Amino acid sequence: MWTAGIFYSCWLDLFNFLIYGYPTVKNTYSLVCHQDPAKLINLSCGNSFVCARCLGIYTGLLINSFLHIFHEIKLKKNFRLVLFATVPMFVDVVSVAAGIYDYSKTLAFITGLLFGSILFLYLYNGLQNLIIEIFKR
Amino acid sequence: MKKYLPSFISGFGAGVLHIVPVAKSLACCLIVPLASFTALILDRRANPTDEKISMKKGALVGLFTGLYAALFGTVFDLFITLVTKNNDIVAMMPELQKMISAFPLSDAMRTEVLNLFESVRNDIIQYGFSPLYTFSIIINNTVVNSIVGTLGGLIGAQIINQRLNNRNEY
Repeated sequence: MWTAGIFYSCWLDLFNFLIYGYPTVKNTYSLVCHQDPAKLINLSCGNSFVCARCLGIYTGLLINSFLHIFHEIKLKKNFRLVLFATVPMFVDVVSVAAGIYDYSKTLAFITGLLFGSILFLYLYNGLQNLIIEIFKR
Repeated sequence: MKKYLPSFISGFGAGVLHIVPVAKSLACCLIVPLASFTALILDRRANPTDEKISMKKGALVGLFTGLYAALFGTVFDLFITLVTKNNDIVAMMPELQKMISAFPLSDAMRTEVLNLFESVRNDIIQYGFSPLYTFSIIINNTVVNSIVGTLGGLIGAQIINQRLNNRNEY
């Protein structure tokens, strides 16, 4: 639902009454993204509510959660995994900020996708352990 | 109170960063999760131990960080709106008007929607305060930041525990 909400403008074509919630929903996504117009994904029905990188992160979380239904991927006890996911995104953010190269939506999306996919493993493991801890009592 | 100090400090930081455009564009959606992670590290520094962080603790620290971030974010946002008599909603109005005109809405619905948004915009421009806007950002900030904060706390606890595992293996 969260990922679908990113393309709220497109849903407006199907459900007109959603227009009442437009400013509030846009404001909600502004809490989790800077919403810089130059970094948003442009579709014929309107702009996305989050930038390419954030869209990549949420898409990574979504895709991995679907994949998890069919095949459970175990989180390895290796700290390098989080570095492997963070470094490309960090390098991209710093390089763009330093002016080494221009912002690329594709690159931002891919680095976000990688980060989101790995993040899901931590999130899933964390939620699993939380449930175990709660029911242990 | 000491128990919640790391969450308070990180939540305050996240609240401030929420309104600083440059910081927001760099950290983007990771401000509150990073604040939760920082709160866990601060908590660990304040109470040094070799034990793993329980997920319950991670979630609670994250939740409180998110709630503090929501509190400070809302207060700063309302204060800036009050002083400048301008905010995102006011800036969004021309785009919104254009959009509403382009949609195949009934005239009654179009007028109703425009009147509603206009009243919020006028309140902000005239008084720097709109009850509807205030209500919506309180709910928004509280719900979104507490969820994102809790998830950040869970992920942060996993990362810290994993680092601890790695250190113990060597």
